[in-house]
Amino acid sequence: MFRTIVRKEIAANLLSYKFFIVILLASVLVATSLFVMGRDYRNRLADYQLIRPEPGRPIAVLPPNPLSVMAKGLEDAMTRSFEVEVIGIEARTGRSSANAVFAFFPAPDFVYIVKVVLSLVALLFGFDLVCREREAGTLKLILSNPVSRATLLAGKWTGNFLSLAVPFLLVTGVGVALFALVPGPRWTGPMLGRLALILGASLAYIALFLSLGLCVSALARRSSTALVILLLVWALLVFILPNLGTLAARQAVDVPSVKAMSEKRQQIWTREVLLSISERGTWAARIAALNDEFDRLEEDYRLKFDRLVRLSKKINRVSPAAAFVYAATEIAGTGIGEESRLKEEVIRYKNRALPDLTRDRTSAAAPAFAYRCRTVGEVLAAGGLFDLAWLVVFGVVFFGASYAAILRTDVR
Amino acid sequence: MLGLIVLKEIRSHLLSFRFLAVFVLLLVFVPATVVILTNDAVRQQDDYSRRQAEIESYLSRYAHFNRLGGVVQPSQPPIPFLALVRGLTSEPNLNAFDSDPLPVMFPLVDLTFIVAVLLSLAALILSYDAVSGEREDGTLRLVLTNGVRRGTVLFGKILGSAAALFLPFLTAMAAGLVVILLNPRLAWRGSDWGALAGILAGAFVYLGVFVGLGVLVSSRHASSSASILTSLFVWVLVVLVVPNLSPYAASLLRPTPSTIAVGREVNRLTDIERDELGRKLSAERRAAVVRDNPVLEGVERMGEGEVQEAIKRDPVFAKAHEIFRKESEAAWTEANRIQGAKAEVLRGDLRRREEAQTKLALGLSMASPFASFTYLAADLSNTGMRNTRHFGRLSAAFWTSYREYARKKTEEMRAANPTVDVWNTAVDVRDMPRFVYTEEALAARFKAAVVPFLLLAGLALAVFAASVLAFNRADVR
Repeated sequence: MFRTIVRKEIAANLLSYKFFIVILLASVLVATSLFVMGRDYRNRLADYQLIRPEPGRPIAVLPPNPLSVMAKGLEDAMTRSFEVEVIGIEARTGRSSANAVFAFFPAPDFVYIVKVVLSLVALLFGFDLVCREREAGTLKLILSNPVSRATLLAGKWTGNFLSLAVPFLLVTGVGVALFALVPGPRWTGPMLGRLALILGASLAYIALFLSLGLCVSALARRSSTALVILLLVWALLVFILPNLGTLAARQAVDVPSVKAMSEKRQQIWTREVLLSISERGTWAARIAALNDEFDRLEEDYRLKFDRLVRLSKKINRVSPAAAFVYAATEIAGTGIGEESRLKEEVIRYKNRALPDLTRDRTSAAAPAFAYRCRTVGEVLAAGGLFDLAWLVVFGVVFFGASYAAILRTDVR
Repeated sequence: MLGLIVLKEIRSHLLSFRFLAVFVLLLVFVPATVVILTNDAVRQQDDYSRRQAEIESYLSRYAHFNRLGGVVQPSQPPIPFLALVRGLTSEPNLNAFDSDPLPVMFPLVDLTFIVAVLLSLAALILSYDAVSGEREDGTLRLVLTNGVRRGTVLFGKILGSAAALFLPFLTAMAAGLVVILLNPRLAWRGSDWGALAGILAGAFVYLGVFVGLGVLVSSRHASSSASILTSLFVWVLVVLVVPNLSPYAASLLRPTPSTIAVGREVNRLTDIERDELGRKLSAERRAAVVRDNPVLEGVERMGEGEVQEAIKRDPVFAKAHEIFRKESEAAWTEANRIQGAKAEVLRGDLRRREEAQTKLALGLSMASPFASFTYLAADLSNTGMRNTRHFGRLSAAFWTSYREYARKKTEEMRAANPTVDVWNTAVDVRDMPRFVYTEEALAARFKAAVVPFLLLAGLALAVFAASVLAFNRADVR
């Protein structure tokens, strides 16, 4: 009976206008996004060939991350060129910094498309699963057969999930394969593993919204009511809660602004220049003292900032969209945790390169900068697994709620 | 008759569930957003005044011309309008090492965002079944059997839905504005209220576009459930995808050279290569001077002490050495000029290309009413690209006055003590000009907002015209 229901749902979907328009939208967007972000990645790769440091120069630059095509995250901040100078680290930004339109709208990467568009699509699949059948009177007929309500619900869910997930995976697979065919990035085994994990997270996220749709459709008496509720809940979960949460967290944790930090550095530097003249220390000793003070400042800042990040993560996880973004970007290696690690590594690198640099400004034989991305295991242990599990828990809770709702439903 | 239809629309909306849902959502989240943004704006004001106090205290103790320019760099103070609109002010600041990753991960919610995303969605929710719903109920026939033109019916529906949407929005806004008015730290001036009025006018036209779109789609579709799907399809494309894709499309169509590579090349030109060229030029010129003045023979190999001695001993040598020194200086100036011009060519090329790309991205994104409205709100509230340029002009004026001040001050110092090291001596800079940010006048901002506003209005008219056409062709049975 379960299979009959699944088959019926898939067949009904295949014939519907909804399926046509929704799959068209999702396919066009996923394909466009992969194409545009892929081209963007290749341009950045070509730039990297120009800006990669010559051996011996104290510059830290990471090559662009191929997975940033899927999850752009903090890629722009991570692929800056960090140049070690006597008085600190100068960060130069890549090409997207001058065009202010980039700053107005978030990047249309795969994660964004899934987070925003596919969640909406999943809701559109789920919003009338129960109440439309009740409106049409077919719910009575189905339940007059020897089929339990749980089976009915599970069948509906499975059928719709399959008719959503299969086209989605097909389009993504084709897009990624096309992207992998062009010369440039090498898709290594671990990278494919990460890709699969991101796809898994996307499926869990979509499943969650499908369950939410199912739940509301079992609760609401009319499908138009269900749709209105779901659209507003969707806007709330995807847009408003995570974005307000970050700002709310900022009000609870007192972190100096970026501007305050850079001004502070300028001030300390100014003071030390003046004092070095009146107090006659050696310049190298002054630089060392200056550097120590900068590092203390930085350490204090990092501590506070980490607290802010932890708090805003806690608040944001109320919304599954935020949990999904955290999980996907961390798995791709463009997340907040990875960026923070990179900054720490750059500071360590600076402290290694600095003694040579103060001794001789022109021919510094600096060690090459090396950075190892966290492995998938480390990412999962550091919170990725929690986010994934959180998505699944959300989904299961919603599904359970829809079971409770349909049990109480009067099917007449 | 029009009034009757509008009233009927408003009444039926007022009783509907979706109106209630939209109302409650707006009434909760608009004030919540304003409260959070207001607190954040006050926090930013505190941060700003702390920073300014810090700068002043450093200036009173450690000011010296070698590093003064680094300390007095102009910075944008938080403006009172940040309590409603954020625009570009939450930039991650990628040029500083401690860049802020949070705004990149989750862009801020502000008034612009609420209007542009939440209210446009609400507009579709309220209008998606304007025609198709009545047709399904069979009331459309009845309405049209009265002596009423189709155009009137359609116009009444659009007006009624827009009013039913604006009513809760304005109520929620009023609640938010009370928060702003009650906060003593946010001193809103007349120009702020003027800008808000402009933004609300823009919001009205923007929402008109979406109400019109909902009506247009609903008169093309036989069933309401198909109508909402098509409306959402268009909405997703126009609001969530086109603006985001446009800067990427522009960067593919009009690529710019790598900023990092150009920056490094400029450094090389004006540092290493400049030194080489300067050494070469000054050696040539000095050799020419030595040829003309045989008394200088061997001066290149003399130590500093010997040269000073020779100058004191021999007036002819002193005069020739003066020419020698001047020529050497002129050679370095020449080297600086040549290399500076080369660097300027690179920088100018980069700037031109970046501007061309930005322009293209702006043009592409303005195909979407969402982007037009965002720019309109950002420019009116002084948080957009126009303000970035305005701030740039103010800083340039500040640097000019700063350089003038530094020149005068160092001359005074030299006059008082000719042997003083003007760069590395502590100076009293209480009389130094300070950077003062003034917001751009409201009239200029309105002028900048004309283009996006006209685009929105044109789009609204086009959508209305299309919906009239579609409704005229509709089969009402």
